[in-house]
Amino acid sequence: MKSALHNMNPAAKFIVITICMLTMAFFFNPWTPLLMWIGVLFIQLLFSRIDWKLWILFMIPFFIMAFGYFWTTLVFAEDKSGPVVLSIWSINITEIQLNHALSISFRVLAFSGLSLLFALTTNPVSFILSLMQQLKLSPKIAYSILVGYQFLPVLKDEFVQIQQAHRLRGAMQAKSVFHRLFHMRKILLPMLAGAVRKAERAAFAMEARGFTGEKRKSFYKVFSVCRLDGYLVSLFMLLLVVSCMSALYMN
Amino acid sequence: MLKSWKLKEVVLMSLFSVVFGIVYLLFLHVGNIWAGFIGPIAYEWIFGIWFIVSIICMYIIRKPGAAVISETIAAAIEVLLGNAVGPRLILAGVIQGLGAEAAFAATRYRRFDVWVLMMAGVGASVFSFTYGYFLGGFTVFSTGYVLLMLSIRILSGAIIAGIGGKAVVDGLLSTGSLQGYAITRSKKGEARA
Repeated sequence: MKSALHNMNPAAKFIVITICMLTMAFFFNPWTPLLMWIGVLFIQLLFSRIDWKLWILFMIPFFIMAFGYFWTTLVFAEDKSGPVVLSIWSINITEIQLNHALSISFRVLAFSGLSLLFALTTNPVSFILSLMQQLKLSPKIAYSILVGYQFLPVLKDEFVQIQQAHRLRGAMQAKSVFHRLFHMRKILLPMLAGAVRKAERAAFAMEARGFTGEKRKSFYKVFSVCRLDGYLVSLFMLLLVVSCMSALYMN
Repeated sequence: MLKSWKLKEVVLMSLFSVVFGIVYLLFLHVGNIWAGFIGPIAYEWIFGIWFIVSIICMYIIRKPGAAVISETIAAAIEVLLGNAVGPRLILAGVIQGLGAEAAFAATRYRRFDVWVLMMAGVGASVFSFTYGYFLGGFTVFSTGYVLLMLSIRILSGAIIAGIGGKAVVDGLLSTGSLQGYAITRSKKGEARA
């Protein structure tokens, strides 16, 4: 029960979350995204064993972002009609304006809730393998993505190495953030040159071991769609329908 | 379409995506914090950075599809790196890639000078803005504000992705590590050999 979301087919999870997000883009009331966000929270509480500390840490920037969306929508709103509900320093805020602002910022929260659900319960490698097996992603692309993913720690080490080499030779003088961002260019080039070389080597090694990039029928690690996925997909769909219907009753 | 692709070209795109995936994530955090204070317009200035991979890969590999596939791979890798923006990033990547691809397709993949690269940045800006307009609910903003956002994004796409992308590849070209790719086989950004 607690591991249901972790065992769900990654491709199915990906599709259902994308459907939820795209559907919510049609709704401009505060209730639909709010209900969605709360519903997603409950689903995670019931069917996953994620690290909630990590969840809060990831959620903080989205709360800040939601606030930014909230006040810009209030100030730069298109539709300023309707009864005035609030007035701050001689700025009148109408009901429609407030509803739009709340809906946009709750939408940020709902989107990030859905994304975090995916990110915290999905193993990256199984996600790509499942995309290849269920959604017919070309093996050439799928395995190339996995190669890139495996190179991540190597590239991270290289980044530190280049940075240290620069510092050793006194090339890293920049103190301010902007200088540092501009300095990235000097680190980027050697890293990209290294990436070109690594790509050639990795591709050669794959081909030497008989990888042709053709579609295959059998896999070492098999992912399939089972009954559990059906239940979870219908749970998400139910949540989506309920939160969309709420638009009719809450107004 | 993938039949004509060499494996090393696909792996190259993937590794570039990892390098830029880290850069993208860095900028995403900068943008996120900033957006808290000045709203969604915070992303517009730096939006060009997210298109750069498609332009760099197309400029090097010069095969139909290079822009879309590389941007999609970059988005997928960003998701793998544990990005909190999550699955919708992949869709965004496909759409941005299509925007850049449109500019190259319009020249039938014959011209790769700085103007075409800038147009690719503009194409990616327009496509991604349309997507963001729909998904981010920008319809609630006043028309003037939306137009301001769009024009900043187009400028950012043309300058950061177009000119910046060209500068990165030209720097890379002078290191001599791009031997064996289409860019070294053709001169002055003309036809692919």
